[in-house]
Amino acid sequence: MKPVAVTGLGVVSPFGAGVKAYWEGISGGVSAIRPITLIDTEGFRCRIGAEVPDSLGGSARRSRADRFALAAAREALDDAGIGRADRADTALIVGAVGGGMLEAEAWYWQRARGVASPMPRALASCFPSAHADVVGSVLGLGGPRETVVTACSSGAASLAMAADLVRDGVVPVALAGGIDALTRICFMGFNTLKLLDPTPCRPFDRERRGMSIGEGAAFVVLEDVERARARDARVYAELTGHGMSTDAFHVTSPHPEGEGMVRAIRAALTQAGIPPAAVGYANAHGTATPQNDRIEARALREVFGEGGLLVSSTKSMIGHTMAAAGTLEAVATVLALDHELIPPTARLEQTDPDIPFDCVPRVAREVAVEHAISNSFGFGGQNVTLVFRRSA
Amino acid sequence: MSGRRVAITGAGVVDGHASAVLGRLLDETEARRLSRVCQMTVAAGRLALADAGLSGSTELALLVGTEFGDMVSTIRFVDDYLERGIPGLSALLFPHTVMNTMAATTAIAVAAKDLSLTLNVPTVAGELAIARGAAAVRAGRIDACLAGGADEPPRLVLDAFREAGAGADVRGEGAGFVVLESFDAARARGARILGEIVGEAWRALAVRPHGVGRVARSRAITAALAGAGAEPAQIGLVYTSASGDGPREAWERALVDGALAPHRPPQRSLSLPAGRHSGLAARSVATAAAEAGEGLALVHAVARGGNQIAIVVAGSEARAA
Repeated sequence: MKPVAVTGLGVVSPFGAGVKAYWEGISGGVSAIRPITLIDTEGFRCRIGAEVPDSLGGSARRSRADRFALAAAREALDDAGIGRADRADTALIVGAVGGGMLEAEAWYWQRARGVASPMPRALASCFPSAHADVVGSVLGLGGPRETVVTACSSGAASLAMAADLVRDGVVPVALAGGIDALTRICFMGFNTLKLLDPTPCRPFDRERRGMSIGEGAAFVVLEDVERARARDARVYAELTGHGMSTDAFHVTSPHPEGEGMVRAIRAALTQAGIPPAAVGYANAHGTATPQNDRIEARALREVFGEGGLLVSSTKSMIGHTMAAAGTLEAVATVLALDHELIPPTARLEQTDPDIPFDCVPRVAREVAVEHAISNSFGFGGQNVTLVFRRSA
Repeated sequence: MSGRRVAITGAGVVDGHASAVLGRLLDETEARRLSRVCQMTVAAGRLALADAGLSGSTELALLVGTEFGDMVSTIRFVDDYLERGIPGLSALLFPHTVMNTMAATTAIAVAAKDLSLTLNVPTVAGELAIARGAAAVRAGRIDACLAGGADEPPRLVLDAFREAGAGADVRGEGAGFVVLESFDAARARGARILGEIVGEAWRALAVRPHGVGRVARSRAITAALAGAGAEPAQIGLVYTSASGDGPREAWERALVDGALAPHRPPQRSLSLPAGRHSGLAARSVATAAAEAGEGLALVHAVARGGNQIAIVVAGSEARAA
């Protein structure tokens, strides 16, 4: 299968705006998980999360999530050197869940308390597709435009779908990414499911108690590899394969044997044309819930065998950023290949014996890896695995 | 269009015309636990698969277009909190606040284990899901899929759309799918072939969010026709996305007329009788296939905000031989 070049990156993360801040944070093992200030958390069991610092700017008329999206998308296009003329044929694929719900919630909460206020325009922009319409319109992207919702794997699915469009020759360039801002619904929902750790999350640790939520956005420019070389573009890495599967098992719980995850990982490796032994690093979904980490480890062991593979969870530093997670973690994987440095799993003290991998505890590891995968899984048993190869 | 041929082998729609079938298509647990939009989606998926004579498998993919997701359950989740505080929050309702809940429940109900994508876009999500599904079958990435959509529009959101100047479409509730599969595989298993999707494309037109454009040059129709290897004059009829939003309908007419000029095939829409929902695209595609006979039909949709989809459909008598 023809690879697709990664030629541009853009990030808004709990470390602030920009790829540089993000990489410094995750490669330094720094935690951005703190008490939540954006919404009222009084009375909830967990009251922490990883918020994006409030210094982004942008029009206050836009939703917080739209501002994240625009900042990250602009950075990625600028980084790749994709100018206005190229954008008419550039596809835009967005992974999203919460849309502009934060602002819509604020209005709805006030209305419920009897505070009369006009129905805000934000209510018409509360759906996930709002980001794509804003980014596409402002940045002049005229190729296919799609918004995909596969829960917490949405950001990874967007890259897979964009890569298909480039490989099929529909477009030469695609901008793909994921976005999510914290919302009350998300915060309340995960609290209700008792999936949140009241203290910062500890993926893979034997004492882990659940996830931390976060927010952010990331975009990646994917480009026909020959076109990228012809224009002398900087190629960070190549997206060589992806696999998508569905558990068809349970709405919130993964298949207990990780059967769907295994199918996604194997499909991705097959598309990339590499054996499991060629993969040196897995950026895990690694949410830090007792069940998810154990099942993901089971799936990794089924495909890769025990040991050998380095596995880390960058969620240990920025929390679970929902629809943004798949893209933020893809960017982490690409940068790990590019910098020859594997980001760590923060706060990992004692690895769970059921997780038979070197999970890169607390400190980044200098390793040159040729191939790496990024796993993303979501409610509904939605599994996505991406395979990246270090740029030659 | 290079790649595999894409056969339409089944269709199922549950909406105002057929909502009475819900009870017969769901088991007791589904009838008790699933939200209404999930029930409609599951039922439509089962109808389409039965029509195609297929069952679920690791090779069956699912593409669900939706504009509103399960917003009715989302509002209920929030209302329960606002009325009763933290004890009012329901762990069962929370997953319904994520838009892929219809895909998740349908995948479980029909055992569809290949990729499952939920596509969100105003008014044209079903057409987009079908076009995406057809492209995936054509490229050989999937063997077969249920592609279509589902919606249950809440009044609160429709009011917000109108206040924001985001259109006055006649809306309805419902779900619908077509079954798309590789033509060769369908033929090998002796499936009845309703028609073929011979070209599909989707593009974005330059318009502000919720706005209607002035551009009347349709790259999507041109690309879909090129993919089909067809000339505008071969299109015998067009199914449009007209649904009562005057400015958008005028724009769509200009886009279709401009792309097919000087040819002027008749244009129809199925939206107005039942109200537009994302499942209606399946009915448009299946009806276009039935009516195309030996010719070709175009299923076209354009949304406020600029998303445009074009699907060229061949009747079963045109190319199935």
